[in-house]
Amino acid sequence: MTTGTPAGSQGQAAAGGSGSGQGGDLLHVEDLKVWFPITEGIIFERHVGDVQAVDGVSFRLRRGETLGLVGESGCGKSTTGRAIIRLYKPTAGRIVFDGVDVSGLDGVPLRRMRRRMQMIFQDPYASLDPRMTVSGIIAEPLEIHDVGTGRERRERVRELLATVGLNPDFGDRYPHEFSGGQRQRIGVARALALNPDLIVADEPISALDVSIQAQILNLLEKLQVQFHLTYLFIAHDLSVVRHISDRIAVMYLGRIVELASARDLNSVPLHPYTVALLSAIPVPDPVVESRRRRIILRGDVPSPVNPPSGCRFHTRCWLRERLGNPERCTTEDPALRPLATGHEVACHFAEDVDGSVEQRQALGRPVDPAQAGSRQPVAPAAPPSAPPA
Amino acid sequence: MTAPTSTRRRDGIPDAGPLLQVSDLVVKFSTHDGTVHAVNGISFQVEAGETLGLVGESGCGKSVTNLAIMRLLPKPAGKIAGGRVDFDGLDLVRLSEAEMRDLRGKEIAMIFQDPMTSLNPVLTIEEQMVETIRAHRRVTKQEARARTIALLSMVGIPNPESRLRSHPHQFSGGMRQRVMIAMALALEPKLMIADEPTTALDVTIQAQVLELLRDLTERSQTAVILITHDLGVVAGMTQRINVMYAGFIVETATTPELFAAPSHPYTVGLLHSIPRLNAERHEPLIPIEGAPPDQRRAPTGCPFAPRCAWRLEVCWTDNPSLTPVVAGTRVVTSGAGATHLIACHNPPTTDEAVAGRPLRPGFVAAAPPGVVVDELAASLEATPATAEEVVLMTGEEGPISAAGVTDLPPTPPPPEGDES
Repeated sequence: MTTGTPAGSQGQAAAGGSGSGQGGDLLHVEDLKVWFPITEGIIFERHVGDVQAVDGVSFRLRRGETLGLVGESGCGKSTTGRAIIRLYKPTAGRIVFDGVDVSGLDGVPLRRMRRRMQMIFQDPYASLDPRMTVSGIIAEPLEIHDVGTGRERRERVRELLATVGLNPDFGDRYPHEFSGGQRQRIGVARALALNPDLIVADEPISALDVSIQAQILNLLEKLQVQFHLTYLFIAHDLSVVRHISDRIAVMYLGRIVELASARDLNSVPLHPYTVALLSAIPVPDPVVESRRRRIILRGDVPSPVNPPSGCRFHTRCWLRERLGNPERCTTEDPALRPLATGHEVACHFAEDVDGSVEQRQALGRPVDPAQAGSRQPVAPAAPPSAPPA
Repeated sequence: MTAPTSTRRRDGIPDAGPLLQVSDLVVKFSTHDGTVHAVNGISFQVEAGETLGLVGESGCGKSVTNLAIMRLLPKPAGKIAGGRVDFDGLDLVRLSEAEMRDLRGKEIAMIFQDPMTSLNPVLTIEEQMVETIRAHRRVTKQEARARTIALLSMVGIPNPESRLRSHPHQFSGGMRQRVMIAMALALEPKLMIADEPTTALDVTIQAQVLELLRDLTERSQTAVILITHDLGVVAGMTQRINVMYAGFIVETATTPELFAAPSHPYTVGLLHSIPRLNAERHEPLIPIEGAPPDQRRAPTGCPFAPRCAWRLEVCWTDNPSLTPVVAGTRVVTSGAGATHLIACHNPPTTDEAVAGRPLRPGFVAAAPPGVVVDELAASLEATPATAEEVVLMTGEEGPISAAGVTDLPPTPPPPEGDES
């Protein structure tokens, strides 16, 4: 993996970056915890608590697949992504990338691993240095990792610009001369520069206009096939995640609550939170909208400094309310357990979700009127619980 | 404090006209590098109690339209350069600043995207709401306070009495937006303008706020203009939709009609750009190529022509006006029976709208005539650089080739060139 012509290094990436071959797992995250300490006092800092941003996340990422990581703000999805790239040091847990545990790596070995994982950021205005030319931005990873001669780098930059659909002659321009979508293409080109195996895309399209979002999504799909990339695609928009992902992990308050194939997650959501999330997404179709009924979750997401006991979702769970507030939800932390083939759920009562009125209504499926009448979903007028003052 | 202006309609006989009538509204911004043509002569109506959606991407003029209605355009850059805004028998464009100030909040209320920037961070909720109410109504502090408590509990804020003394930062995002809605409804306005009210919120919180907004405005029969880029939000919230592009309304229809039979290439393109949650299988997205036009140039031809797959030659030079989709239909501009209008020379057929691309054999979108070249669109993928740029880049390429890159051709290769 030293220098080489651009074509040569591409060939290496296509060969799957050595190690365990084509089919297996590229990444294995095991019980990952990222806690941020809260301190008080200026001279004598006292440790008074932790923001438990990510608290026990485990998943596998297969070579060549796209895993979507979805959840609301503060659920820990971005922290998970950044910990994998090792922009944060994990508090506990293992991150095994192609057979090597990177969670404790430092210095040169870490830098060597980083060549193989790159990140695409959300805000194409903030993630590009306004004082560097586009060529400079895209060539920077090549320079840092000392790849190629100056001339080879210039060639590679032109090639990358063409790959992401920009005019190769625009390398001498500055980021402000480009529109948002074009800037995001520059960000993609920079991520591709070192022929990485894994790309962590953190909300890569949420800052873009709708018509431009589709351009970038299509580009990412094209590049995945072309360069055999593995994506960890982080976003809050479930419809976008479903479109691009093979499998989806839904996060809530630092935990994965449901992990399933993209198709299963949308047709048979089995965690009460996933059902509520699906029902809350507005569908651009007034016919479906009029048939659907939203599950209005009460209140806000609890603070990750002091997460609820037992199941973290129990404070807002519609299913728990329906089942008469079983004690198990508040005392026992549900583990992620397999239900159907490849479908994992962290809920004690996930079996009760399947086929429920709420699940059918969230998906806009017809509901037996007698059943619907007798079992109203959560009353929309219910007053939300007080947020922490 | 009673407004001399707004009592007229309440005392008099309710006239049959719409609550709000915007006619040929033109808004321009003077900036240091030219005039920005933000809104280019749009007309629409809002009936009392109706919810109208204004949909479009950033820069399409949807927010500017509403700032113009409220007369809140940034000064001195923004200017209403033409047209009328008739609200309840008053021409808002010609009202004095004092009359306008009296109208805002009382007759027309506004909810902004970011509640943190529209609430005063150093005043308590009580101070802000009591002040708003007392500025427009002759009531005592106690009465205003009681009204505030009633409003806060109406929008679902728990323990409103104790929350009165909280500052905005002590509320979460969703709660702040509830406070904003309570303030907007405090004076029982006839029209509420909600500019991306839920864009900053998480999707489950968005569902809460939208439900609340729909409930309250339905109950109080408040007309609403809902501005958003999210087609999903308008699908469930509005009765009628205007689709805007580059300062023009390009399509207007009732909500069911717009989604059942989208007819303007831009609307068709938008609907094909968003992944559908309820899609049966993985359908490839059909993006709209290129980028929105630079509005510093006065519009010539159809504003969407540079990105349109259906464009004819005439589209480059002649901007079509809004006409009924079914030719010869009598035009109704508001209400549930509003006519479906589009501004297009060559609208997609029903099959093409479903497919998202032209299906006519041999049809090729008309190439731009030499004069009109959209630089932004031209710089995007698969579009050759414009003549001007090639010259420019050749000039810049010079020193590099001189510095020893011998195998580079003297002129740059076309963008879809050999490498990839």
